[in-house]
Amino acid sequence: MTVVTTTSHDLDLSSCDKEPIHTPGSIQPHGFLLALSKELTVLQASDNLSSLTGVCVEDLLGQPLAHLLGAGLAERIKAALAQSEVGQRPIFLCTVELARGARFDVLAHHHDGLLMLEFEKAEQEGPADLRYLYRKVGDFLLKLNNASTVVEMARLAAQDICAVTGYGRVMVYSFDPEGHGHVLAECRSDDYHSYLGQRFPATDIPRQARELYLLNRIRLIQDASYTPARLVPPLNPVTGKATDLSFASLRSVSPVHLQYMRNMGTMASMSVSLIVKGKLWGLISCHHDTPSPVAFDKRTACEQLGQILAMCIGSREDADELQFRLEVRRVMVSMLGGLTHGADFIDNMSSVLPSLLQFARAGGVAVLYDDRLLVHGDAPGEAQIEELVAWLGMNTHADVFHTDKLSRVFAPAAAYTKVASGLLAMPISRIHKHYLLWFRPETVHTIDWAGNPYDKAAANGTPPQLSPRTSFDSWRETIHGTSAPWHSGEIEMAVEFRSALLGLALERAEQMAELAEDLGRANKELEAFSYSVSHDLRAPLRHIVGFSDLLLEAAGNDSLEKRQRFLKNIKESARLAGKLVDDLLSFSQMGRAALRPTEIAMADMVRSCLDKLSIETRGRNIEWDIGPLPTLKADPSFLQLALYNLLSNAVKFTGQKELAVIRVSAQDNDHEWVISVADNGAGFNMDYVHKLFGVFQRLHRMEDFQGTGIGLANVRRIIERHGGRVWAQSQPGQGATFSFSIPKELND
Amino acid sequence: MLKPILLVEDNPHDLELTLIALEKSQLANEVIIARDGAEALDYLRCEGDFAKRQVGNPAVILLDLKLPKVDGLEVLKVIRSTPSLKSVPVVMLTSSREEQDLLRSYELGVNAYVVKPVDFGEFVRAIADLGIFWAVLNEPPPGSYRYIKPH
Repeated sequence: MTVVTTTSHDLDLSSCDKEPIHTPGSIQPHGFLLALSKELTVLQASDNLSSLTGVCVEDLLGQPLAHLLGAGLAERIKAALAQSEVGQRPIFLCTVELARGARFDVLAHHHDGLLMLEFEKAEQEGPADLRYLYRKVGDFLLKLNNASTVVEMARLAAQDICAVTGYGRVMVYSFDPEGHGHVLAECRSDDYHSYLGQRFPATDIPRQARELYLLNRIRLIQDASYTPARLVPPLNPVTGKATDLSFASLRSVSPVHLQYMRNMGTMASMSVSLIVKGKLWGLISCHHDTPSPVAFDKRTACEQLGQILAMCIGSREDADELQFRLEVRRVMVSMLGGLTHGADFIDNMSSVLPSLLQFARAGGVAVLYDDRLLVHGDAPGEAQIEELVAWLGMNTHADVFHTDKLSRVFAPAAAYTKVASGLLAMPISRIHKHYLLWFRPETVHTIDWAGNPYDKAAANGTPPQLSPRTSFDSWRETIHGTSAPWHSGEIEMAVEFRSALLGLALERAEQMAELAEDLGRANKELEAFSYSVSHDLRAPLRHIVGFSDLLLEAAGNDSLEKRQRFLKNIKESARLAGKLVDDLLSFSQMGRAALRPTEIAMADMVRSCLDKLSIETRGRNIEWDIGPLPTLKADPSFLQLALYNLLSNAVKFTGQKELAVIRVSAQDNDHEWVISVADNGAGFNMDYVHKLFGVFQRLHRMEDFQGTGIGLANVRRIIERHGGRVWAQSQPGQGATFSFSIPKELND
Repeated sequence: MLKPILLVEDNPHDLELTLIALEKSQLANEVIIARDGAEALDYLRCEGDFAKRQVGNPAVILLDLKLPKVDGLEVLKVIRSTPSLKSVPVVMLTSSREEQDLLRSYELGVNAYVVKPVDFGEFVRAIADLGIFWAVLNEPPPGSYRYIKPH
């Protein structure tokens, strides 16, 4: 065993990638191939035809099939073709016996404009037995049901295929994301060398070979030392290009591959593709040290076993993936719960740091927020993290950055590969440099390669790009600077976590904005308060003082009538000052008290307001027109105050009318109720409507209509606290209509 | 040869007290009373009810800051942006000591800003001083009409 230590370089030995392996121009000689037209005229044939049948290729070209098989067999094949639906995959037609007593299994498929008939030499007596397949498949399914792991399933498949084919060694290997193969399970005779656990470099299987593995799920090389049988003529007569043998069972394989097999001491091989969700997941690879045929029925059984295994692997992986994601999500949800507890983001984050580690199966986690750095677990130093974040900010634009080989992309990370060979990083703000970083420690691991993957040139005299390595001795490599890879579920969940975080942040920002707005409103109201105290309250006090002075000064000189007016003015001013203080108080309460919405029958509420107004309306001629009114949801005491204000305004401003007409009506506006109070009173000029609902605004002279100018401001405040609107319409002298809306769904 | 004073005041008590104060100062000037900003502007622009009045500007306008409809600041703004009115002296007469009202008034080009004193004696003195200064001592700008009180 050779042992080396490397920091893993790229295995780029892709010289084989260019070989056109699907058009080798030849076949393996344990059978012959005929390419026919629709009319079953032979257009192309393999040149081993003569040695297998005694018929010369040149003599057969352009002739009907009967020329080779005789009329009876040709008719049988024609009938078999007519019965079967022949597509791209070879199907078994029949077994035929040709001249000299040689028996052949006949396979047919359509491809490249040709009907391909492959005649494989049948070793066994009697026709191929497809019933064999059903029993095998049934048994295998039962066993798979009891298998607990993918490796266990692979082992069962290897055993079965070993039994079916009689090959000396059957390996099941899977491809990792880089394409390297890893032997998961093996079944072998004692005299075969074990490859269990070994890795085969991706370059052992060239790209186009992988593509063929996807197209054609089973391939047999019955004798690695064969001499290929060439196609005559060499090109496809229909297309004029090299004949595409992608689906042909007899297709000849690359000389490099044959060399590779011989290097392994393998003279016969068969491989079955394991295709999981449309991707080449792995291979079942069978080796035998002497040439060894596998008849079509057995191959079919192996192919079916491979498909069943692939399906079981697919569903097992799905289940594991689901389980994994559920677990990650569970951690994430509990973490988000923790994040919403307090007001301070960093405090909340500190409390969920252990979960953050668990969430990403990381060794360390760091949160960079507002120049504050929180670190938990094993992580690089503060300065190193800052340097790393600066680099991330400059170099990554994706939502998430992740690597399991950090020092490979960010050289300074070589200083701390032990704690941070793996990095999963997310910016958690688009504007600020806030980052969430997970670190995974280095996992020093060894890979047992089947031979040195970096040393492919070998055989003497052959051009190195066509030579597979000569040795399959185990070759151990130690990998440094890498961590366990990040699971796609972890990465997706991290992105989801980030958007949840952003959501939380946005919500907080909104709350802050709302608070700021509330504060702004409160400040404005406070200003209005101080203004009214300094201005509005000063006026009545000044009047009281002024008229009292005049009264004292007059000392009986003025007329009685004048003195009485002064006294009346004093009384009025005092009353107004008192009312102003009351109104200010109630207005300030309105901003603080909580709403207690209940169902309110508006008709009852109007009636109760009218009772309250009865003193003011005494002696007046008022026609009340109360329309049908709804039951709606609102705070009853507040709404009553608003309604009373509007009704008493209507009473006030119709004071000079012989007949006052006051109409209360309701309108259903889908999402809201609109209540209107219309009067035929003094009205106002619409030019001033914007001032109407402001605090301490009056549109009328004091002696015309008494009021402190707070009433409508109160109405607006009450309605807005219910989420509704207030508005007014008027024509001077024609009356006014005041309306408010109350939403049907209160969102308090 | 007396110059009229335009008093813009909506509060009846303030109006009465102001008229008493002017009377006590023994000014013989006619006092024209407007009860809100809109009416004051109608008078100044000879519109509405004042369409037929004798043309000419008052010697001084005593303007209450807080008025229904069009407030004192708005009236002041119109006066200062109307070529035929912009040189008329305006005294803001108010209960407000709010700095913003004061600043805003001066920004808009008020000639004087007087906070109505709560004490009546002081109030009378303030109004009398204003009347004497603006209506008697001050030489009004050209265009202020000279009003001869009819006997």
